[in-house]
Amino acid sequence: MSPELGAAMPRSPLTVTVSVWRALFLREALARMSAGRAGWLWLLLEPVAHVAFLMVIFSTLRQRDLAGVDFALFLALGLIGYKLFTTTARRGAAALAANRGLMAYRQVQPVDTVLVRVALEGMILVFVAALLLSGAMLFGLDVLPHDPIQAMLAYLLLWIFGTGVGLVLCVGVTLIPEIERVIGFVFIPLYFASGVFYSPAMMPPLVQEYLLYNPLVHGLELVRGAFFAGYHLVNGISLTYLAAWALSAALLGLGLHRRYARELAAR
Amino acid sequence: MIELKDVHKRYRTKRGPGHWVLRGINLRIPSKRSVGLIGANGAGKSTLLRLIGGIDVPTQGRVERDCTVSWPLGLVGGLQSSLSGRQNAKFVCRINGGDEDIERKLAFIAEFAELGEAFDDPVSIYSSGMQGRLKFAISMAFRFDVYLVDELMSVGDAGFRIKAKAAFQRLAGSSTLIMVSHGERVLREFCESGIWLRNGQAQWFERIDDALKAYKESIAA
Repeated sequence: MSPELGAAMPRSPLTVTVSVWRALFLREALARMSAGRAGWLWLLLEPVAHVAFLMVIFSTLRQRDLAGVDFALFLALGLIGYKLFTTTARRGAAALAANRGLMAYRQVQPVDTVLVRVALEGMILVFVAALLLSGAMLFGLDVLPHDPIQAMLAYLLLWIFGTGVGLVLCVGVTLIPEIERVIGFVFIPLYFASGVFYSPAMMPPLVQEYLLYNPLVHGLELVRGAFFAGYHLVNGISLTYLAAWALSAALLGLGLHRRYARELAAR
Repeated sequence: MIELKDVHKRYRTKRGPGHWVLRGINLRIPSKRSVGLIGANGAGKSTLLRLIGGIDVPTQGRVERDCTVSWPLGLVGGLQSSLSGRQNAKFVCRINGGDEDIERKLAFIAEFAELGEAFDDPVSIYSSGMQGRLKFAISMAFRFDVYLVDELMSVGDAGFRIKAKAAFQRLAGSSTLIMVSHGERVLREFCESGIWLRNGQAQWFERIDDALKAYKESIAA
């Protein structure tokens, strides 16, 4: 053949992993943007349509303002936080199955497919959030958070939590396929129990107590608290609680991938 | 050199662990030795190739390699159907660390595969022959010590087969081939030694002719 074409030289594990991440990332991004007609447009339109839909429903049910807070912004912030967790977790869980064909190359490890995918989902949502907020600004809403660090930290932790759950579920659905059926109906009540379209402050004390077990409620409320000055946070909302869940899930996920690396790679 | 030590393999099925495909393979494949893998359908030929290539792991035992080994060049897997032929080729170049000369590699692959405009169409609309040509072309853009070949010699039309054969003959001088094939002529042409898989065990033959003879006698008997 043409001898000038480079030989496949033994490379260091780090070099291999970095080149695999790069290649997988470009592959994932391309597949995501080109899915269906105008795939990239839908990435943006979907959350906008979601917020608009909830707006229509709730503006007919009650007034548009919620203790001095604009309801559209309230919904958008919650929805972005919720998606940072759920989309990341669900797309991460399906990452290995979607890249099965690429397991034909031994450089590609199962955990790579998940990590690359959650990174891409995170970036897409940051981009969507920036566009949504800029859009809201054009409509004259006050979208600048008074505590940007807290907002970013809460969003970051929600994404890490999603990453951890995605890693765990990826191992779960690969080793025990039945888990996939369960994921679907566990995530539906989660939407209602996470405070995407309400604040725990509106709920009776007994319900509040149960809602506070859900780390997502903590994340969404912290984001809102960081954006709206004088927003009333329920007693017990804590960044530490969310962080504990997020980091435990991430460590558990990485640990499971390490422990079951052989079983995941094998058919 | 590639060494297999007490390699066992069984797959997981929906109903729990399957039967043992390989049970206790001990082999030492010397470097610069082309080897043909023969055996009945389901004897574990492709499984053994996947284990040697490191894309699957033995249930028990170990596989040791001290050389660069290609991915198994075969008819299944390795392509992402929603992406185009060019994008798939780029992916393989990137994970193999061929970033510097990616343009030259792509040009080479496009020319070798002879897919024309279809090179930029999604792989999902390729025929199996076209997929085989693409995979063959991609693998030829890289230099490995050992090439694993799983029934790839029967890919494509007559014209492409001549080209593939010529490419392999040039390779045979500098690299090792480990190939699965049911084509006796192909095996005799490219391989010196043979491995006969039967009942989950492997038998080594220094000469491929002896391996083919033993295999044929077992069928006749």
